Amino acid sequence: MAKVKVAMDWLAGCAGCEMSVLDMDERLVQLLEKIELTSTPITDLKHPPKEGVTVGILSGTVNNTVNVEVAKEMRERCKILVALGDCAVFGGVMTMRNFCDMNEALKRAYVETESTVEGTIPSSEELAKPIKACPVKDIAKVDVFLPGCPPSADAIHYVLSELVQGRIPVLTGENLKYD
Amino acid sequence: MDKMVNLRMNGRQIRARAGQTVLEAAKAAGIDIPSLCHHPAITPHGACRICLVEIERQRTLQPACTFPVAEGMKVETESPKVIEERKFVLQLLFSERNHYCMFCEMSGDCELQALAYRYGMDQWMYQNSYPKIPVDGTRKYFIMDHNRCILCRRCIRACSELAANNTLGVKFRGAKTMVSADMDAPFGESTCVACGTCLQVCPTGSLVDRKSAYTGRNAQVDRTKSVCLFCSVGCGTEIVTRAGRVLRVEGEWEEHNRGVLCVAGRFEPVYDTRARIKTPLLKKNGERVPVTWDEAFDVIAQRLKNTKGTKVGAWTTCKTLNLTMSELVAVFQGKIGAEVGVLEPTLDELELPVGGSLSELVSSDCILVIGADPLSDHRVLGYHIKQARMKGAQLILVTEKANETSRFADQSFLPDELPKAIKICQNSVSPFVVYGGGTTKKDAEKLAGLKRKAHFVPLFPATNGYHAKVLGLQSGMNKSPLDIVYLLLEDVIPSEEVVQRAQSAKFLVVHASYHGPITQSADVVLPSLLWYEQEGSTYNLEGKKVPVRKAVPLPDGMIPESEVFAQLAARL
Repeated sequence: MAKVKVAMDWLAGCAGCEMSVLDMDERLVQLLEKIELTSTPITDLKHPPKEGVTVGILSGTVNNTVNVEVAKEMRERCKILVALGDCAVFGGVMTMRNFCDMNEALKRAYVETESTVEGTIPSSEELAKPIKACPVKDIAKVDVFLPGCPPSADAIHYVLSELVQGRIPVLTGENLKYD
Repeated sequence: MDKMVNLRMNGRQIRARAGQTVLEAAKAAGIDIPSLCHHPAITPHGACRICLVEIERQRTLQPACTFPVAEGMKVETESPKVIEERKFVLQLLFSERNHYCMFCEMSGDCELQALAYRYGMDQWMYQNSYPKIPVDGTRKYFIMDHNRCILCRRCIRACSELAANNTLGVKFRGAKTMVSADMDAPFGESTCVACGTCLQVCPTGSLVDRKSAYTGRNAQVDRTKSVCLFCSVGCGTEIVTRAGRVLRVEGEWEEHNRGVLCVAGRFEPVYDTRARIKTPLLKKNGERVPVTWDEAFDVIAQRLKNTKGTKVGAWTTCKTLNLTMSELVAVFQGKIGAEVGVLEPTLDELELPVGGSLSELVSSDCILVIGADPLSDHRVLGYHIKQARMKGAQLILVTEKANETSRFADQSFLPDELPKAIKICQNSVSPFVVYGGGTTKKDAEKLAGLKRKAHFVPLFPATNGYHAKVLGLQSGMNKSPLDIVYLLLEDVIPSEEVVQRAQSAKFLVVHASYHGPITQSADVVLPSLLWYEQEGSTYNLEGKKVPVRKAVPLPDGMIPESEVFAQLAARL
């Protein structure tokens, strides 16, 4: 049987979800007998292959214009999109910014920080533009939601195992946690 | 006997008392209906709609917490329609304000979160509008984060029904509704009395205790049922600890105080920063140096043996537990014939009954308070008096001058006018007499006329005054010169008069928890236990003997007071 192709990418996140993926330890090795990880943020290839994958996994909040591109590219190239972690599912810590005005937030971060001297808000054309922080589902249709900050290795293992066997996972008990 | 009705719940035939709600009937039958705004100690409200159930012949789903049972009723508590509706209600609750669990203090113990888990919520259907909502940190002991509030109104009902304080309410309407104090004052500047009852009933992370925030979840802490030792009401408590440290104190729902505590029992003790006495200290060359218990005992016993019993005096605070007080009497009075007594007044001159219960007081129609100010000194009793007043009881206050309780008195009388107050009681159905330290012997004689009609509640000026009265201990220190004075203070700060009297003795032993001016002049200092380390019993204001339990292991080298007296006795 051909291996199931899985691609991962991250948006605005802390890499905690990726740490949790690695926390699967030897179960990750067993999983790799059934899946092929085509690309991840922590391996050489970053972009999901053009020919597409079966499962796409996104962690992090859609936080700026580049995040939107990454999310859309993943959606186009995968059959089943998994939102991994509280940021991708609900919006996460980044959405705390939404409770105030964007300029207020930028000023607080780049100018008013206690350790900053003569700070300026970055404005280079090359930089992504910040947008109102939102969960992945606001940008692209999500098929599987796996909340958690981060989700436990057990929950990630459960979700991937179910997907490999052709089932859409339903989270219950310890696998469904928001913190 | 109550009338019973028969109904079917989830196809099961069950019996319930007429007048019960569907939720109560389900609980009694072991059927679990989820609830959120409901709390057993307060009136059902039906605010959150999570307990919706399907009832045959009702046009829409009905909240189980407010819907009364009826003969032949058919109820479905987990039908697909009900579950779908509950999921919808949860989605609506999460769509307002800030319910991101990952940075909430309550995550893990939150009732809203538990329901979201139960109904498998793995995403939010409705976009949060990120409203700008304030946090109120103006109160000393706990904060109100409106962002986490789901407007269940448990706090509001607890404030009005349990603390009878009516500080909390809501302002604005619809999605803009907010819990507010006194029509819109910062909580810290409001009429809030910081009893913390709202904090204890909040189902989410909206009300957060400053001291115990982020110190442990329910599964990680230990809970010890005990008694508050800070006044003679003797409220039932639950001391919450982790790794030998007290995190916070909560009110025990099953005791006479019905979950309510006051600021002096719930918060202040946890904030005590006085320097603890850790070992026995002995005065050597003008300095107090740490010594072993044995050395301290030997020095005290030697002095006691060489002194005439009549030249020795031992006084204790009434705060001590039953056994400690009895042991002190047995050793100092029984063994060496010394003078013994307590520092605080014990109402020993008043020959009036005890035993009126708080639950009966709340349904009384006339409460006479004499020689006391419950709202400053015995606050939880004060809250119960206010509860009774809200139900229609009249409060008659007999006092020399106005006090905290005056504001709520329907009529106030001077002590000379006591007969008028008594007459009002005689004309009522179930009067209560609450008498405190300001009651004179003469007043008591007049009040004795109400013995057959009224319930009596004594308000001892110190915690275990009842036991001191039973033991017949004199209150106050006598004036005759003494060679040895033994003072058991625990954590009580002695009055200036006591300090002076104690200092006049040739040899002073101070048995206390904290350093203070009095320990500076002692010849021997013995460390005593704190409120959460004590084990034994005390009496509450209903005259009931209640168990006090140790919530943490004793620190190294600490010996309980009763054990200290046993050791001393063995050396005499």
